[in-house]
Amino acid sequence: MFSISQDFAPPFKLISPFFIVGSFFYLAAVFYIFSIAHQNISLLDAKILGFVHLFLLGFVMMVIFGAMAQLVPVVLEVGHFGVELFYAIWPLLGIGTVMMVFGFSYPMLLPFGGVVVLIAMMIFVMEIFLTIRKVEKLTLVMSSVLIANIFLFFGIIFGLVMSLGYAGMISIDIDALLRSHVFLVVVGYIVVTIMGLSAVLIPMFGLSHGFSMRPLKIAMTMIGIAALFVVASSLGGIGALAYFGYALSVAAMVVYFFFVRVIYKTRARKEIDIYAKSLLFSYVSFMVSLVLGVLYFLGAGEPFILSAGWLMFFGFFGFIITGHIYKIIPFLVWFERFSPLVGKQKVPMLADMLPQKSSSAQLLFSATGVVVVAVALLLQNEILIKAGASFLLFGVFAFVKSVFYMINYK
Amino acid sequence: MYSKEELFLAISTVLDPEVGFNLVEMGLIYDASCDADGNAYVKMTLSTKACPLHQLIMQWVREAVQKMAGIKSVEIDLVWEPAWNISMADEHVKQALNRG
Repeated sequence: MFSISQDFAPPFKLISPFFIVGSFFYLAAVFYIFSIAHQNISLLDAKILGFVHLFLLGFVMMVIFGAMAQLVPVVLEVGHFGVELFYAIWPLLGIGTVMMVFGFSYPMLLPFGGVVVLIAMMIFVMEIFLTIRKVEKLTLVMSSVLIANIFLFFGIIFGLVMSLGYAGMISIDIDALLRSHVFLVVVGYIVVTIMGLSAVLIPMFGLSHGFSMRPLKIAMTMIGIAALFVVASSLGGIGALAYFGYALSVAAMVVYFFFVRVIYKTRARKEIDIYAKSLLFSYVSFMVSLVLGVLYFLGAGEPFILSAGWLMFFGFFGFIITGHIYKIIPFLVWFERFSPLVGKQKVPMLADMLPQKSSSAQLLFSATGVVVVAVALLLQNEILIKAGASFLLFGVFAFVKSVFYMINYK
Repeated sequence: MYSKEELFLAISTVLDPEVGFNLVEMGLIYDASCDADGNAYVKMTLSTKACPLHQLIMQWVREAVQKMAGIKSVEIDLVWEPAWNISMADEHVKQALNRG
């Protein structure tokens, strides 16, 4: 008999704070949009930087870290090195995020917030590295977890150095380091993590079989090389090198998109539930974001990269995360609350634990909001941005309601 | 002591909570036998190696067989070859999944 992973489901009380706190940060990020004025709509504006960190650290990273507490044993097929360490991660990440968001308005706070976030991420990264050490033979997906965390490690080091420079404590070229920081964290960690996990989760939920993993291997290799180009451009002060990296990473993401498309085409389960709809919207946002990004690098104006970034963050990351939350939370709650009752009394199916109305409302309002804001950014129209944010606000309220519904399901 | 069909019938009480079908109609149970002394053997797979419920599912299969009168032991052989695919499922499962 083959043995596979142990401890696949850590206690729900350990993971639930990540999802609860993360969803409140998502809500806070959408509220924050209403404070952004027309003059703030540019790439390096302090308000935009605060907003991006609020969303990416508070929501995206918070939920990914929580999800990884459960998914790492599933993917790595070994138990965690020290899953209790996750109890320390969410408070530190939450506090550090708040300090950093304020730090973009009060720069002295920034390095302190940065250090708190750094500690949270180091605990996470080290726990993952020590867990990976238990793996005897790395598969492609396991390698993706390792590579993503190496990128995260260096990405946050760049970020900390930048925060010291931002606060005036050291003299550095922030713009040069920014390239590596953004690339390593956003593409290196978040995108590579999504790439690796989606190769396990999308086939698992869709019952897909018989697809080749080769495109994923190609995409990850290309991103690894791209990261080297971008970091070399930061450290060597050669801006042009970064463009090779960007072009390579766009190509890698297109390869990855076709990989996901093959998984989707080979699925046995054709049901278009909230999970499938969320993923469809996320991947459409992903492709539109890439097109807008390419247009920006071909000479279109800054609105194109702002809109591309918006679609990548709120469209791709946002919906792929919310879609998976509709799978992960019911599973964890079911595992803890209902699995001991199997065979003794009737227990719900996982699909029964989904709030149909609020999840549908979340999808509809959030998707509308994401599209309206993306257009508004292209048009640089502040009123339209706030209109889109209003839709998004309803959507995120519905999302928070859904999260609590699933957590409290009895 | 028990035929393969009788064992399959007992195991068919175990449902996959994600898809809502039982393990037998999903085609996840490859073989089952039981000797005259009540020692049962079940050869099964899962739809994915990454299934986070694998330990529980195996436990449910074991319990389902142990409920049969006279069973002394249950050996479960979890195998990955041949790898499961949807063609192994019953026709009504395929149709239901295909309808969505």
